[in-house]
Amino acid sequence: MASILAPVLYVAILLGSLLIFSRVYRRRLASQRKFDPWFPSHPERDLYVTLLQQSNPPAPDAVLKAALLRRAAADLVRIQRIREDKQALQALIQKGSVGDDLWNSCLAAEKELEAELIEVVGEANTFHEQWGQIIFATASELNANEKIKAVLMNMPKMRAEAELKYGLSKTITAGPVAGAVAAAASPSNPAPPVASPSTPASASLSPPPSSNGFDPSDAESSTSAGASSSGKQTKKKGKKRKT
Amino acid sequence: MPVPPPPDPAVLAAIEQDYKPVPLRLNENQVLCDGHGLEKCGECEVDFVAVNQLAKMIVSHPEYAVPPPPNMIPPQRSQAVSKAKEEGNSAYKARRYPQALHSYTIGASIAAARPSWEHSQVSRDEISILLSNRAAAYFEAGEFMNSLVDTEAVIAIRKPWSKGHYRKGKALLGLGKGEEARDAILTGLSYEPTNQELLTFLAEIENKIGRG
Repeated sequence: MASILAPVLYVAILLGSLLIFSRVYRRRLASQRKFDPWFPSHPERDLYVTLLQQSNPPAPDAVLKAALLRRAAADLVRIQRIREDKQALQALIQKGSVGDDLWNSCLAAEKELEAELIEVVGEANTFHEQWGQIIFATASELNANEKIKAVLMNMPKMRAEAELKYGLSKTITAGPVAGAVAAAASPSNPAPPVASPSTPASASLSPPPSSNGFDPSDAESSTSAGASSSGKQTKKKGKKRKT
Repeated sequence: MPVPPPPDPAVLAAIEQDYKPVPLRLNENQVLCDGHGLEKCGECEVDFVAVNQLAKMIVSHPEYAVPPPPNMIPPQRSQAVSKAKEEGNSAYKARRYPQALHSYTIGASIAAARPSWEHSQVSRDEISILLSNRAAAYFEAGEFMNSLVDTEAVIAIRKPWSKGHYRKGKALLGLGKGEEARDAILTGLSYEPTNQELLTFLAEIENKIGRG
C-alpha cells in the first residue's frame, strides 16, 4: 500500500487554504460599508478632525471647542432628520413604493449616528470631565438661538419684501432702527458691552436722531431727552432707505 | 458615568471611510479657507462663519473652561434688558416715541447678543417682548411699515403669542389692508381661540371692511 500521506496532505492543504481565505474575506467584507450612505458627508466632523490633526501651529483650544460644539449641533439636526425620514420611509414601505435597500441604508445611518454621538461625548470629556454630559444640551440651545438670530438678521430683507408688497409708506426713523438689531446679532458683534442702556454703546446701535419729517414737537422732546447724545452720528446701514 | 460599550468596528470603518480632510488655514482664533483666506468660500466650498462666531464667543468668555450648561445665566444681561424695556415703556407712555424706539432697539440688541449656549427661551421672550413694544411705538408714531416688519419678526420668533398677531393686524389696518389684517387676526385666533383682545379687534376690522 502506497503511503496515503501525499493525498491526505493535499486535501488538508486545499481545505485549509479555502477556510483561511473565506474567514479573511468575510471579515474584510463585514468591515466594509454594505449600504449607500444616507448623508453625503459630514462637514462639521471633517472640520473637527482636521483641526485636531493640525500640528504646526496646533489649533487653539477655543477653535477646537467651537468646532466640537458645531459638530454636536449638526448631529442633533441629523438625528431629527433621520427620525422624520424613518417615519416617512415606514409609510412608503408599507405601501410598497420603495424597496428594502433604502430602509437598510436608513438603519445603518442611524447606527452610525449613534456611534458618532458616543464619539462626540468622548471627545468632549477630553476637554473637561463634565462637558460630555452637557454638550448636547448646549448644542440644542445653540440651534434654537441660531434660529432666533437668523430671524433678526433677516429683518432688512423682510422690510424690502414688505415694501414691495405694500408700497413705500411714510417713514420717519426709517430702516436703520430695524437694522441696528440685526447688526448687534451679526457675527461682528458677539458681545457688545452690557453698559447702561441709556448711553448708546456704539455708533451702530444708535438710530439717526430727529431728522427730516419729524413733527417739531417730537423733535424738541427727543433732543431735550438727550438720548440722541450720539448727536449727528448716522448708522452706515441707515442711508439706503429714506423716503 | 459608566463607560459605553465600544462601537461596532463596521460602523467605525464606515465613519473613517467618509472622512475628507478640510483645506484650512488658522489665523489667531479664526478658521479660513486654505486657497483664498476667506471665511466663506464658494470655490473651496467651505463655510466657517458659524465656527468662527462661536470661537469668538468662547474667547470673549474666558471665565468658562467650556461653554456652561444652558441654565447658567448670569443676571446682568437680563437686568440691562429690563432696564431698557422700562425706559422704553415710560417714554412710550409719555408719548416720546423716538426715545421709546431708541430704548427698545438698544434692549433688543443687548438681548440678541446673549451667548448662544444660554437657554433660548430667555432670549426668545426678551426679544419678542421688546420687538412687540417697538412695533407698538412705531404704530403710534404712524410708521406702519416698520411696525409690520417688527410684528412679522415677533411672529417668526414666537408663533403662538397672541400679541404678535394682534399688532400685525393693527399695522396692516394702518396700512389700509383690511382683508390681510383680518387674516392675521384669524391666524392669531387659531392659536388662542378665546383671546378677548383679538376677538374685539376682529369685530372692529369686520366693521371697517363692511363699511369700506
